[in-house]
Amino acid sequence: MTTIGIRDPHTLAPAAEDNYITHTKGFLSWIVTLDHKRIGVMYMVAVLLSFLLGGIFALLLRTELLTPGRTFVDADTYNQFFTLHGAIMVFLVIIPSIPAALGNFVLPIMLGAKDVAFPRLNLFSFYLWLLGAGCTLLSLAMGGFDTGWTFYTPYSTTTTTGGVIPVIVGVFILGFSSIFTGMNFIVTIHALRPKGMTWFRMPLFLWALYSTAIIQVLATPVLAITLGLLVVERVLNVGIFNPSMGGDPVLYQHFFWFYSHPAVYIMIVPAMGIVSELIAVHAHRHIFGYRFIAFSSIAIAMFSFLVWGHHMFTSGQSALMNTIFSAISFSVAIPSAVKVFNWLATLYKGSISLNTPMLYALSFLVLFTIGGLTGLHLATLSTDVHLHDTYFVVAHFHYVMMGSALIAMIGGLHHWWPKMTGRMYNEKLGMIACTIVFIGFNLTFFTQFMLGSHGMPRRYYDYQPEFQIYHVISTIGSYIMAFGFLMTAGYLIQSLISGAKAPANPWGGRSLEWQCASPPPHDNFKEQPRVGDCYDFSIVRWDESQKGYVVDRSLDPELDEGAPQTAKA
Amino acid sequence: MMSIHHILAHLAPATLAQAAAPAAAPAGNPMPEGTIPPDFWMPVGASTIAGSVDQMLAVINWICYFFFALVVVLMAYFAWKYRVRSNSHRFRMDGPVHNTPLELTWTIIPLLLCVVIFFMGFRGYLDFSQPPKNSYDIDVTAVKWAWTFKYPNGAQSDDLYVPAGRPVRLVMRSSDVLHSLFIPAFRVKRDVVPGRYTHLWFQSDAITGADHGYHLFCTEYCGTGHSNMNRRVYVLGETEFNEWLEQQARWIDEIDDEELYFKAGPKIYARCSQCHSIDGSMGTGPSWKGLWEKVSGGAGSDQKFADGKSYRDLIGPGKEYATPEDYIRDSIYNPGRHLVSGYGNVMPTFKGQLSDRATDAVIGMLKRLDEFDSKGQWTKAAAPAAK
Repeated sequence: MTTIGIRDPHTLAPAAEDNYITHTKGFLSWIVTLDHKRIGVMYMVAVLLSFLLGGIFALLLRTELLTPGRTFVDADTYNQFFTLHGAIMVFLVIIPSIPAALGNFVLPIMLGAKDVAFPRLNLFSFYLWLLGAGCTLLSLAMGGFDTGWTFYTPYSTTTTTGGVIPVIVGVFILGFSSIFTGMNFIVTIHALRPKGMTWFRMPLFLWALYSTAIIQVLATPVLAITLGLLVVERVLNVGIFNPSMGGDPVLYQHFFWFYSHPAVYIMIVPAMGIVSELIAVHAHRHIFGYRFIAFSSIAIAMFSFLVWGHHMFTSGQSALMNTIFSAISFSVAIPSAVKVFNWLATLYKGSISLNTPMLYALSFLVLFTIGGLTGLHLATLSTDVHLHDTYFVVAHFHYVMMGSALIAMIGGLHHWWPKMTGRMYNEKLGMIACTIVFIGFNLTFFTQFMLGSHGMPRRYYDYQPEFQIYHVISTIGSYIMAFGFLMTAGYLIQSLISGAKAPANPWGGRSLEWQCASPPPHDNFKEQPRVGDCYDFSIVRWDESQKGYVVDRSLDPELDEGAPQTAKA
Repeated sequence: MMSIHHILAHLAPATLAQAAAPAAAPAGNPMPEGTIPPDFWMPVGASTIAGSVDQMLAVINWICYFFFALVVVLMAYFAWKYRVRSNSHRFRMDGPVHNTPLELTWTIIPLLLCVVIFFMGFRGYLDFSQPPKNSYDIDVTAVKWAWTFKYPNGAQSDDLYVPAGRPVRLVMRSSDVLHSLFIPAFRVKRDVVPGRYTHLWFQSDAITGADHGYHLFCTEYCGTGHSNMNRRVYVLGETEFNEWLEQQARWIDEIDDEELYFKAGPKIYARCSQCHSIDGSMGTGPSWKGLWEKVSGGAGSDQKFADGKSYRDLIGPGKEYATPEDYIRDSIYNPGRHLVSGYGNVMPTFKGQLSDRATDAVIGMLKRLDEFDSKGQWTKAAAPAAK
């Protein structure tokens, strides 16, 4: 195995040698692995299975909503459907999807490191995730839960469904999984950056993961405390939130959203990081306004702690607090807008490959723009009062959580798929599936904006007949979207079996993960590589013998081992 | 299910506004005078603040249309113009890497726009956050899964009746969990929180009459019957409202005692029916079928409660409840005292909401349950020959 520091890129060609998948063999070697790549892959499999489960619940509830009144299940079952859909998608899928699955795989390689700072903690956090997911499934066996994913009191402490305690314990445990991943990433980024990689030379995905990790570490403990209090109230009858025992239900909402609003950014900020990578790499163009994008991630992370009250404009909190929270909420719009414009400017005068990852990045741009702009309606006090707790809110957060966070995750999955698996997927099918998902998504959720603004409340089993046309379109859209995702699953699995072998650098990427073999060897790099500007594509060129791109380090004096060293330590 | 043709008609932009219209008009009624007609986005507007809310929404919408078009057009143009064949051997390197004045521009313009939107929304919100001093107060109690509206003269109703042309303030409380009162046509919404009073006010000048009201929804998830907590709001002219109010306050007193159980009973049962069936089918609460036999020492009176006592242990002279009527009344006022096995402590108290006569009507109905159909309608009147 050659090292990355060697000048001649031809020697980097993977020649059926040792990689992280073949390094050790057997089931045991996976479940006790400390390799961040294997842990990332295990997370990815687990998250995608959860996505399938949450998606099945979504289709069930959309099917029930085809007609007003009963379509095929009763109200209690429907209430469980939407609760499970929400809880699974938020806690099991979106929160861990990018940091724990993709981030785990990519972050150390982007840093040229062998692993994260605390590999054992990393494995531990995966087992915590499994335990938390197990508790959630256990609650299904114990009668399920119908509280909504928000667990609002006093409903959640008085409902008779039997699975409330297990799922709360599960979410509590999942929270610690998330905290440990965040701690690991913060330390890794601080301590393991290679020579030459200053803070402002990190790939933007790392800035995003860093911002996310800060939110995970600071906000998630509040969720843990809140859920702990909920269990205390439900099990020991200590009045904290329930007014019939002297508690205050609005206090619960403050606690809950103090975590759960930042959690929205735990989901979207890493997605923004992926999109920065996708756009720069597939446009083969230096990212425009690096510092503005990096600082906007940090700004979003900071603002995220100050805006939770906008979930409570109608809750009975004082008009003064509503005003303050409304004002601060708008501040989140600025860094988001900055990012969108900088991404657009990155496309300008690029050399754009219109392939599947790029298509996902462009889908993200459209959907995130809609999701972000409709946030204006909800941050504005006078219009939010009308739109609050209607389908407008449902549509808004699906555009951000699903249309943005999950679409970016799937774009990232395609982007790093050759790196993770060593195989190429069918590009044509990828682009068709992306288009199907995009169309299905907009049919499903754009109609919900109209439902909401016309007054259809959320979490409704039964509805007025005049809303039916919108629900029918929305449900048809969800079936189309499901078809797109099934197709994606199909060609990805097919690529594992019979996909073409992936070159080290199929897209023309410049950051370090494209400079080690696909799949990477166990240690990623034999020695810590030195790095230059990770968005300088002038030294990336096509190499016909590898059927892939190479980063020609001889063209960059900074990286040239023989040249005088100019890199900052 | 709608036909494809129907769906396509809805999708054509020219017909969209009209298609949206029926979604908003009060129950198929031609729109009352003084309302804002529904459009592509908003339902009919029928309160004094609806105009300003809709205007605010329109301003935000146009800002959104502009920026959305800007982003999508630029994106599509760049993606097309600068696309390359895959595996290109050369990348162009002439794109700018940053441009601080430009980046500051697209930081500051959104910032200014946000400040403007915030202030406009803030001013609109101030207009409807404080009720005027001379408002007409109506007490609202929310329970799973019904609303009770109480008027100053003691009248009660399940639907909301309000006088036109004067500010109305709802003083709201919840007997159990969170609820939220939402009237789309008035553009108002407020959570109803157990343990505290919340207020909401509006003024509507658009008279609907007592036949076709606007929608009133519960918008805070509250369990099984959440989506059935929808009622109507009727806006009445002054004299019509006062007449209704008088009649509503007296109706139960004007019924003869013997007729109470079948004239008032079904009206009150409409609310109980959310949880309690008459025909023995399962619900959130136990069915009423056979209940009177159990409480009066007949069949099933040895059935045990969750606390291990049976009906027979509780009811009878010298026991906790001297008469079956006492037990029924207490079950309505203190529902959690003795839980029927298999059911949770879910029912809120109806103390203060059901008058003595209303409670009598319920008890009377329980005694002669065989005279009612599964929906709670009195069948004897319809078929006198049956007996």
